[in-house]
Amino acid sequence: MHFASPRDAIAHHVGVVHQERNLIPRFSVAENIHLEQLGAHVLRPVDYAELNRQARRWLETLNLDVDPATPVSQLSVAKMQLVEIAKALSLQSKVLLLDEPTASLTSSETDTLFGILRQLRDSGASLVFVSHKLEEVQEICDRVTVLRDGANACESRPMEGLGRPELVRLMIGRSEGGGTWRKRDTSGNPPVLELRQVATALGHRDIDLTVRRGEIVGLYGLVGAGRTELAKSIMGQFPVTAGTVLIEAKPVRIGSVAEAIHQHRLGYVSEDRKGEGLILPHSVLGNAGVPIWRRLAGLFGSLSDGAVRRAVLPFIQKLEVKTPSLSQTVGNLSGGNQQKISVAKWLAAGVKLLIVDEPSVGIDIKTKAYLHDLLRELADAGTAILVITSDMPEMVALADRIMVMDAYRVRGEVANTGVYADVSQRIMNLIHRAEERREAEPA
Amino acid sequence: MTTATPLSRIVRTDWFGPLLVTIAATVLIGGFSPSFLSPLNIQVLLLAVAINALIAFSQMIIIAIGQMNLSVGAIGGLAAIAFAGMMEVWGLPAPVALVLALLIGIACGVLNGMLIAITGISAFVITLATLSIFKGINLGITRAQPFYGVPEGVKAFGTAVLIGPVPWLAVPTAVVAVALWFMLRRQPIGRFILAVGGNEHAAALSGISVRFTVVVAHAISGLLAALAGVLLVARLQLGQPSIGDDWLILSFAAPVIGGAVLAGGHVSVAATLLGVVIVAIITQALVLFSIDPFLVQVVLGALILLRWTRHRSSRRAASKNHSPASRRCAASRCRCCRAPSMRCSARTAPASRR
Amino acid sequence: MTSHDAPIAAGPQGDSLERDQNTLRSSFFLTNEFGLILLIVLFTVGFGAAASGFLSPFNLFTLGRTAAVNIMIGLSMMVVIVTGGLNLAVGAIGVSAAMFCGYLIEGLGLPWPIALLGGLALGAALGFVNGWTVVRTGLHSFIITLATMSIFFGVMIFLTRAESYRALPPVFASFGKMKILAYFSPLLIVTLIAALALSWLYRRTVLGREMLAAGARPEAAELSGIRVGRVFILCHMLSGVLAGIAALMLVARNGAAIPAMAGQLGQDWLLPAFLGPVLGGTLLQGGKASVLGTCLGAFLVTMLTSGLLLLQLGEFWIQSFLGLLLLLAVLVDKARRTYLARRNLA
Repeated sequence: MHFASPRDAIAHHVGVVHQERNLIPRFSVAENIHLEQLGAHVLRPVDYAELNRQARRWLETLNLDVDPATPVSQLSVAKMQLVEIAKALSLQSKVLLLDEPTASLTSSETDTLFGILRQLRDSGASLVFVSHKLEEVQEICDRVTVLRDGANACESRPMEGLGRPELVRLMIGRSEGGGTWRKRDTSGNPPVLELRQVATALGHRDIDLTVRRGEIVGLYGLVGAGRTELAKSIMGQFPVTAGTVLIEAKPVRIGSVAEAIHQHRLGYVSEDRKGEGLILPHSVLGNAGVPIWRRLAGLFGSLSDGAVRRAVLPFIQKLEVKTPSLSQTVGNLSGGNQQKISVAKWLAAGVKLLIVDEPSVGIDIKTKAYLHDLLRELADAGTAILVITSDMPEMVALADRIMVMDAYRVRGEVANTGVYADVSQRIMNLIHRAEERREAEPA
Repeated sequence: MTTATPLSRIVRTDWFGPLLVTIAATVLIGGFSPSFLSPLNIQVLLLAVAINALIAFSQMIIIAIGQMNLSVGAIGGLAAIAFAGMMEVWGLPAPVALVLALLIGIACGVLNGMLIAITGISAFVITLATLSIFKGINLGITRAQPFYGVPEGVKAFGTAVLIGPVPWLAVPTAVVAVALWFMLRRQPIGRFILAVGGNEHAAALSGISVRFTVVVAHAISGLLAALAGVLLVARLQLGQPSIGDDWLILSFAAPVIGGAVLAGGHVSVAATLLGVVIVAIITQALVLFSIDPFLVQVVLGALILLRWTRHRSSRRAASKNHSPASRRCAASRCRCCRAPSMRCSARTAPASRR
Repeated sequence: MTSHDAPIAAGPQGDSLERDQNTLRSSFFLTNEFGLILLIVLFTVGFGAAASGFLSPFNLFTLGRTAAVNIMIGLSMMVVIVTGGLNLAVGAIGVSAAMFCGYLIEGLGLPWPIALLGGLALGAALGFVNGWTVVRTGLHSFIITLATMSIFFGVMIFLTRAESYRALPPVFASFGKMKILAYFSPLLIVTLIAALALSWLYRRTVLGREMLAAGARPEAAELSGIRVGRVFILCHMLSGVLAGIAALMLVARNGAAIPAMAGQLGQDWLLPAFLGPVLGGTLLQGGKASVLGTCLGAFLVTMLTSGLLLLQLGEFWIQSFLGLLLLLAVLVDKARRTYLARRNLA
C-alpha cells in the first residue's frame, strides 16, 4: 500500500496528528475538525449548526470545554493540539498516528489524552504514538519500536518487561551514565554572560542566568517554554525590557543582532538551520564568512573571495566538512555538514559566547558525537557555551549545569552528575512543579 | 479570553471601519456640497461602484488564496472587446455574445490558474506574462480602434434605471456580491479557497486539493473581470480596447481598504464593497470640488498605505498580551515572493500562554 | 547524503580552487546567460537575413539606444528583486526624477550637471521612501510600491501640471544623438558603466554580498549580523537612482522631459523592467543577481521588438509576443532548474 496524497490516506482511514500546527487559524473549531468531510460536495451549503453539533461530540470525548464556533486562533496552544486530535478522531480512523502529541500539553492534559487513547485502543483502533518522552512511552504503549540514526534499533518489542535502562540503551546506543561526559569545574571562571532579573518584550520575566568562561550551560524546557526566544533576546533580536545584561561584567544594551555579533562577539546557532541558520542557496564560502565580512572589508568596502577563503578554510577543514568545494551550494550538503558549517561560521568569527539551539536536529549520530566533542573542546579552550536542547540524553552528555525553563521563566537549576536517570528525574520534577503552580494560579 | 459583547463584535468586523468612513465622508461632503446627494450624482456614484466592485471582487478572490492577479484588467479588456466585436463583426445577439465573452474570461482565468498550480511559478510572473498576452491579443484584434457597433439594447441597458437613482448595471453586481458572500461563507469551495489562503500546508493535509482550489479561484476571477468588462461596454456604449488598462491599482485598493490580508485567507465581500464605495466617493468629491483629477491616484495610493497603519496598530494591540509567534511574522519580514504566494511565513499559529 | 561528499583536501588550496573553475566551465552551457547569447545570435542572423534594414547603421544605433534604456530599467528592477521584493514604482520614480531635473534647469536655472545630480538624488529619496515603508511595515513591497507608484506619479503630475520641460540645454539632445563609430550611442556606455559597477558591487564588496545574503534568507542574514532593514532600504535607493538614470537617458533621447514618457503611472516600464531580470534567470526569489543575464535579457527583448517591427508582422501583436516569451522563459527556466536539481541528486 502506498498513499499518493493526504487525501488518499484519509480515504483509507488513516488519521495523523502532526507535530506542527495544521489548523486554519481563522476557521472555527468545528470547521477545522470537519474540513475533510466538506470536500464531498463542494457546492452544497455548509450546515454550521450540524457541524457544531457533530464537533461538540468529539470535543466532549476529549473533555475539551470550548464552543465549537470559536475561531481556532483564539485558543491556547494546548487546546489547538486537542482540536487536532479531535480532527483526527472525527475521521473514524482505524489507524491514528500521533507525532509528539504531548509536546505542548501540561501533565493533567496529558493524562486526559492518555485516557482517551486507551479508550480508542479498547474500541479497536490502532495507534502509533511518536514521542521522545520515555515516561509517556512506558505509560501508554503496548509495544515499542526504537529508531536510531534513521534505522530500527528494535522493532515492535512488547513494552512489558522492557525496562527503562534497556530503552535508553536502545535509544542512545549505549547504556546510560557512561558516555563521554566528564565533570568539569568552572565555578571559578569569570562570567561571560550574566542576566539579572531580565524581562523581555516576548514575555520572559525575572530571568537569572550566568554562563562562565569555558562553561557549558544547558537550557532545558518543553516546547513553548521560551528558550529559543530567550536566546534571540540575548542576541538583541527582541528587546530586553527590564533587568541587566552583563557581558564580561560590563552592563550592556544590545540593540540589534549585528551589535551582539560585531561588538560583543556573541554567536547563535539556530534550531531552524534551513530557515534561519544558513542561506541554503548560497555557497559554503558565502555562508561561513558572513559574520566576518565587515572585518575583512578593504577600500570602499571591497571584499575579495581570497580573504574570506583564507579566514574560513582552516575552520572548515578543522571541522572536516565534507564538500566537493567551497563554492558548493550549502543546500546540497547533508544535514550534518550543514550543521558543521553553522558552527564553523562562529568559530571563524571567534565568538566569546556561543548559543547552540538544538545542536543535533536532523544530523546523523556520528556528526552528533563529533559536535559534542567539538563543543566540549571549545569550552575547554575558553568559549562560554549555552546549549538549548529538548534531547535529554544530549543535555546530560553535554552540560555542566542545566537551567530548567517553563512558561518564559527559569524554574530552577540542576547540576549535572552525568547519571541520566537521576538528572532527568530532577528536571522533570522541576517542570511538573512549575506546571502545578501555574495551574493553581488563576488564569 | 474576553467574551465579546455584540457591540464589540461588530466593532471588530472588517466592514465596521470602512462603514464609518463611508458615512462620515458622505455626511461631510454632503454638508459642503449639497449637490453631492442629488439623485443624479448618486446614480453616477452607483454606476462607478457597480463596475469597480466587480473589478475589486475579481482581485479579492485571488487575494483570498494568497496570490495576486495582474491580468485582471487585461482579461476584462479582452472580454469587453470580444463582446463588442462579436456583436459588431459577427452580428451575434447580445446574450450569446455575453455568454461567449464570459466564457473567454473564465478560460483566461483557468489558464492563469493551471499555469500557476502546475508549474508552481509565482502568480506574479505568470499573470504578468498573461497580462501582456491578453492585452496583445486585444490590440491585435482591434488594432487599437474601438468597436462602435454596440446594439441599442445593450446601450439601453447601460443607461437604464431600475428604481430612483439605482441603475440596472448595479443589479449584476449585487447578485455577484451576494453569491460571493454566500460562497465564501457557506459553500465548501469558498471555505477551501479561504483555507488554502490561510494555511496551504494544513489545507493540503486536510485532504483539500490545492491545485483544484487555485484553478477555481482564478476561473472566478476571470469570470468577474470579464463581467466588469462587458458592463463597461454597456456603460461606455462602445468596445474600447483601453478598457482595463487602469484597473490594477483600483483592484488592489478596494480589498486592501476592506481589510483583506494579502497573505491570504481573509477577505470580506462587504468590506471590499465599502472600499469601492469609499474610493468612488472620494473620486467624486475631488470632481465636485474641482480638485485636480490627477490627485485621485495620490488618494488611492495614500488609502492603501493608510490602511496599513490601522492594520499595524491593531496588530500591536493584539500582540501585547501574548505571542512571540504572532509577532514572528512582523519580525521576520515577509518572505513573500519566495513562495508562489504572498504569504508571511509564520510557521506557528499564534501561541498563547496562560 | 550526496555521493560526492569528500572532505576538502587539507593540502594545497589550489586543488579545490581548480575544481571550482572546472565545475564553472561545464555548467556555463546550462546557464541562462548562455541560452540568451545563443538566442541573440540566432535572432540577429535571422532578422539580418529577413529584414533588409535590420543591420543598417541607423537601425543598430537606435536599437542600441533603446536597449541602453531598457537594460537600465531592468537593472533598476533587478536590484530590488535581489531582496526578494519588487518595485512597481520604477516608472513613477524615473519620471519624477527626470521631471525634477527639468524643473531644476528650467525653473531654478541651475547648471545641468547639478540638475542631473538633483534628479538622481530625488530618485534615491523616493527609493528611500519605498524601502523605509517596506521595512517598517513588514508588508510586501508589491503593495507598498503599488501605492507609492500611484502617489509619486500623481504628485508629479499635479506639480508639473502634466507639462513637459522642452527648453533643456542642447547638451542633452546632442548626447542622445551622438554616434560613436557610426553604430553606437554613448547611452550604451552609460549603461555599460552601470552594469560593471553593479557586477563589482555584487561580487566584490561587503555591501553587495550583504544584499544578496539578506535577500536570500532575511532571517539567517539577520542572525549572522547583517542589518537587513538597512540593506533593504539601500537596495530600494539604488533602484531609485537607476530608475532616475534610465529616465534621464530617455530625456537625452527625446530632448525633453515629458511626464508621459513612461505611460500612465509609469506602467509602460513594468514589462521591460521584469522581462530583463526574469529572462536573465532571476525568478523573483531574491538572493540572486545576474547582471549579465539582465542585460542580455533586456537586449534580447529590445532586439525582438525592433526586428518584429521591421518585419511588419503586425505591430499590435508584439505585446502578446513578449508575454509569450516571458511565459516560455520561466517555463524553460523551471525545467532547467528541475533538471539541474535532479542531476545534483543523482
